Amino acid sequence: MNATKVLRQATAHAERMPSIRFVGKRPIPEHIDHTPKPHPASPTGALPANFAKHGSHTSFSSYRDHAQQFGPLRKTIHTANIGSTPGAALGDVSPPKGQYFDRHHLPGKFRRTAISVDEMEALESGGASMVA
Amino acid sequence: MDICSWARQIASGSREEALSEILQYMQLEFFHSNNMVFSPELEVSVRSWILTVGEVDRGVDRKKLWHSEIFLLKQNLPPLPRRLFEFTMLSSRIMPRAAAPVRSALKAHTNLPRFVQFSRAYASSADEKDLVIIGGGVAGYVAAIKAGQEGLKVTCIEKRGVLGGTCLNVGCIPSKSLLNNSHMYHAIKHDTKQRGIVGVEGVSFDLAKMMKAKDTSVTSLTNGIEFLFKKNGVEYLKGAGSFVNEHEIKVDLNDGGETSVSGKNIIIATGSEATPFPGLEIDEQRVITSTGALSLEKVPESMVVIGGGIIGLEMGSVWSRLGSKVTVVEFLNQIGGPGMDAEISKASLKTLKKQGIDFKLGTKVLGGDPSGDKIKLQVDAAKGGKEETIEADVVLVAIGRRPYTAGLGLENIGMELDERSRVIIDQEYRTKVPHIRCIGDVTFGPMLAHKAEEEAVAAVEYISKGYGHVNYGVIPSVMYTYPEVAWVGQNEAELKASDTAYRIGTFPFSANSRAKTNLDTEGMVKIIACPETDRLLGVHIIGPNAGEMIAEAALALEYGASSEDIARTCHAHPTLSEAFKEAAMATYSKAIHF
Repeated sequence: MNATKVLRQATAHAERMPSIRFVGKRPIPEHIDHTPKPHPASPTGALPANFAKHGSHTSFSSYRDHAQQFGPLRKTIHTANIGSTPGAALGDVSPPKGQYFDRHHLPGKFRRTAISVDEMEALESGGASMVA
Repeated sequence: MDICSWARQIASGSREEALSEILQYMQLEFFHSNNMVFSPELEVSVRSWILTVGEVDRGVDRKKLWHSEIFLLKQNLPPLPRRLFEFTMLSSRIMPRAAAPVRSALKAHTNLPRFVQFSRAYASSADEKDLVIIGGGVAGYVAAIKAGQEGLKVTCIEKRGVLGGTCLNVGCIPSKSLLNNSHMYHAIKHDTKQRGIVGVEGVSFDLAKMMKAKDTSVTSLTNGIEFLFKKNGVEYLKGAGSFVNEHEIKVDLNDGGETSVSGKNIIIATGSEATPFPGLEIDEQRVITSTGALSLEKVPESMVVIGGGIIGLEMGSVWSRLGSKVTVVEFLNQIGGPGMDAEISKASLKTLKKQGIDFKLGTKVLGGDPSGDKIKLQVDAAKGGKEETIEADVVLVAIGRRPYTAGLGLENIGMELDERSRVIIDQEYRTKVPHIRCIGDVTFGPMLAHKAEEEAVAAVEYISKGYGHVNYGVIPSVMYTYPEVAWVGQNEAELKASDTAYRIGTFPFSANSRAKTNLDTEGMVKIIACPETDRLLGVHIIGPNAGEMIAEAALALEYGASSEDIARTCHAHPTLSEAFKEAAMATYSKAIHF
């Protein structure tokens, strides 16, 4: 059996493998990048800076993303304002090495609630002051 | 299946109504007989039309089809019947004139507005086209036909009054007619003795008839395109189009009057014009471009061609063969323009000189004076030297072509051009306004008809399928002088500049049997391949039939063939293409017959 395999391989190698490949009917690629890129025959190999920033959209899906949602949540608009970008995109929240956050830096809602005079009374009287 | 009987069935007892149904059916038949739709599609459209017009519009059972159902029905139709679906709007335009008197009667009977209202609610208005093409040259007309085949509603605007653009009217086609006929005359005059043909002494030619033969070929081809427009349902507007805004184009009709069309997509295919020479006014009589060179009324005694590119050499050849003393003045030290391989260019220069054309290479034209009997041109060596004056009856300016966008109203849509007035496009032929595309001479790439044709198909496919294909590395060039010169791919100089290793194989036609029997042995085939993979990099041919032979090279290059692939492909004997095979053999090993 091995001999046959060797023989087969030998014949395969003896036959000329043309480097030309007949690809058959050309399919349309599944993923096509429609974003504007320089034309292959372009002499500069670059697009001008203001190219296709025209307000129109290069594809239907980009138009739909743009038109579906108005306001800061619109996918196609990115401003520096908080709310237009997800929190995760704002970066890491842990302090730099060697530095520590103090509890006092936190907003008021994270701090311990101060005890009122009535509460102190209630604690000291074992709750009797609240009933009386 | 008899569509007509459906129509009769639908028609009620009333005789007039039955008549109008049949008339409407005849309109569809009209589409059919003009090959505007295929019959299965026609059948679908007739069925849907009967459903809607017959039941909704005529009020037999008005509640049977809801708006949404009509919409759905329409959505499910292939593009062409969808177009026909709205035919009640379309038909008023396409209906033959003879039927015009009945048309008004028909409208009255079938209460059309209600149906029209339905269509308008869900589809684009009839005036908005899927595609509007400005320019009916090679790029424009090919795009229009392709778009028609893809089922788009398409309009093509052309101001010349005939289709085909520069190529068909004042370029490739008429020049090939003159080149072929002048070559035959020249061959009969100078190349018959050794072939044993006698009795042709005193052969002469009739220039007017030669021009008429040229015009006949041109007219039959341009008319052919008009037929193809009708066949593929392309609307053709004769007039000058200019942008009003990004979607609307105003058309100044050639017959007077004005109309406007708007399109979801627009293709600019306005082509190019000959670049004038500064200081020499073109009058197309004495100072001519290639256009004038195709219709001179008499053979000039002497002619100077400014520019030794393909156009200059072809037209120079025509008039030289017909008896003119032709001098070609070229700024560079090489003829044939960019892309032609230096070795091939030298060989071509040698044969053209032998044919009696004078060359002044590395020479700059400083200026001209057309005031006298003869036009005087001051020329100087390009690198500085002694100035001299040459005289000629006719000066042909062939220094290149430039994009043509005059009167297009590009300023109305804020379109900018690059430094050589080309429209800037991206890889999908979109301009900075994405629904406006641009193809052909007016944008990047070589100004060749076949390149424009490829781009036209690709641009329409980008619109209809989202994907198109043009390989800019494999665009053949042909110079139709005698012998012809043709090349595809890279030349030696380009490979050296990009520091690519290469291997060359050549084969002369003097060793080819068919060339020998034809007594036509000038020229050679030169193949350049990668030394490592043997993949073809470029093919350069000078010799008989080079322009036809280059097709094989382009095919091989497109498929990425190796020179061995070509060499191992059997070529018929005795043919000129054997020289091509042998050159491939010489590239990967050795030629047999040399």
